[in-house]
Amino acid sequence: MRAVPLILAALRRLAGSAGLLIGASFIIYMTVRLAPGDAVDAISPMGTPPEVKAQLAAEFGLDRDPVTGYFAWLARSAVGDFGESLVFSPGESVMAVALPAFKRTVLLSGLTLLAALVLGLGLAILLGEPGPRQQVLTAPAYVLTAAPSFVVAVLFAQGMNWFVQAFVEQGGYETPPWFPIPIYSESLMPYVFAGFAMLAGDGLFMDWFNTLRAELLSLKQAQFITAVRAKGARTVGHIARNLVVPVLSGFSARLPLVLGSVVIVEYIFTLDGAGYVLLEASRARDFPMVVGLSVLFTATIIVVSLIADLVRALIDPREVARGG
Amino acid sequence: MGGKGQTLALRISGGIVAIVLLLGVIAPFIGYDPVADVDYEAQLLGPSWAHVFGTDGQGRDVAIRLVKGTEAFFLPGLLAAAIAVIGGALAGAVAGYLQGIGRSVVLGGLQLLDTLPRLVFIILLCTIMNPSITLIAGVAGLLFVPAIATVIRRKVEALGSEDYILAHVAHGFSPARILLYHILWLQCRPLLIRQATFVFGYVLFVETALSYLGDYGVQEPSPSWGNMVAQTRDLAGQAPWPWLFPALAIVVTIAAFLSFGNLLARRDEEAIR
Repeated sequence: MRAVPLILAALRRLAGSAGLLIGASFIIYMTVRLAPGDAVDAISPMGTPPEVKAQLAAEFGLDRDPVTGYFAWLARSAVGDFGESLVFSPGESVMAVALPAFKRTVLLSGLTLLAALVLGLGLAILLGEPGPRQQVLTAPAYVLTAAPSFVVAVLFAQGMNWFVQAFVEQGGYETPPWFPIPIYSESLMPYVFAGFAMLAGDGLFMDWFNTLRAELLSLKQAQFITAVRAKGARTVGHIARNLVVPVLSGFSARLPLVLGSVVIVEYIFTLDGAGYVLLEASRARDFPMVVGLSVLFTATIIVVSLIADLVRALIDPREVARGG
Repeated sequence: MGGKGQTLALRISGGIVAIVLLLGVIAPFIGYDPVADVDYEAQLLGPSWAHVFGTDGQGRDVAIRLVKGTEAFFLPGLLAAAIAVIGGALAGAVAGYLQGIGRSVVLGGLQLLDTLPRLVFIILLCTIMNPSITLIAGVAGLLFVPAIATVIRRKVEALGSEDYILAHVAHGFSPARILLYHILWLQCRPLLIRQATFVFGYVLFVETALSYLGDYGVQEPSPSWGNMVAQTRDLAGQAPWPWLFPALAIVVTIAAFLSFGNLLARRDEEAIR
């Protein structure tokens, strides 16, 4: 019976993730309580009417001691009630504003990570073993990609402006009628450029490329691959299957980094995503909005790493056997 | 691996790191009054002998502001690196040494810190209390503890079954002595140096990003590389110089810190082997 330990492992991970979520939300809540002076005054924007302040205090349990206040806040947040936005879009519930924006952000980050994976894997296969000649080749690339994402994004935003201008001057580009999706569209362009900026920035791509190449190399030199080759069978399938686990781990491990850089990149390209909303709300001191989004970002990281863990346990029985 | 090219890269990145650190040390002793430096007759000049890197939108000399701007991240960066490395090394060593409940508690705490998205959490902190750059750096250092602890824990676990460590145990050395001296100091130094340079680079990144994105970080008129880039970005089309030099300084410095840490660690790893 393989199913029983698998289910047990899944339950254990689920419990662990729930614990992480509670712990992380507690840290976020306590950060709010750390506000200097009168917490309500500190967190509400200037000129907030007293009744709104009282409502804020009640929402965040600021009129109670930290522990009961936290549980009151948690009980609301657990059902997705993060209160109402104060400044960013006054009166609307935080979730109603944050969720659509957050979907776009997750899509952008996910696709960027995926593109980084495909490109990195392709390059790793093409370049093969690292040698002195490739070090000369990759060193400049390393320096370039070590640039912080917002510097890259600013450069790319400038590049995008020139690019779009050039197209407008030419009278635009017509997608051939047989092609199903529009190749060039002005609403899509910022997302494409933002994706590339995130890909290149913070050394994300270079880092993943190096990991994949090392992984590929150690697989190729593994004894079981030699055995497969000795039998005269094709090795591609075996290598691919063994790459799934490190790729999954890499995906979930790099998500926090990407969710950080997406904030900056969205802001620079003024994309209507969660990162942009977070910064705008933060500048306007729209407090419920910022807290709600912080919880959403953290929850995403926990959920994605839970999913990656479960999939890994499903495809690699050794993970379960190890009891991890 | 490497050879000449690697040595050259190590020298170049090490040189840049040394220059930046040196500037960070001498910057506090340079007298500079950002208000007195304003000169509306010399706005947005290109590089010349009088202003080596040109002037910004208020006619202030870019070169001296670049030098003075190192103050914004030098001490905070050192603080963050110290917190991250000391905290990470100790937590990693303890997690690798302990068994059972104690180990689970330490690992759980580390995992909890690790799930907080760094930049988002720092933005949350900024929204609540408008913290100083020192506090931001301290929090950034704390958020790096789990990453370092993981690396150290793996190393401790791997070394724990080595014969010579077992010999130390049989010899009656205390666990603290073995963990702190024989494992952390003798075996993990390259790892820790690499992580320290990384965290230092991250603080520079956070300071620049925060001043770029919002009204956080170091406030005008005090110069920081981030607020220099932020102020001049709208003028970058007509006057690229005052934007280009701080931006270049940021990119080159972060890249140098990262690659210096990596190369140094690789050389030390080869030496240990």
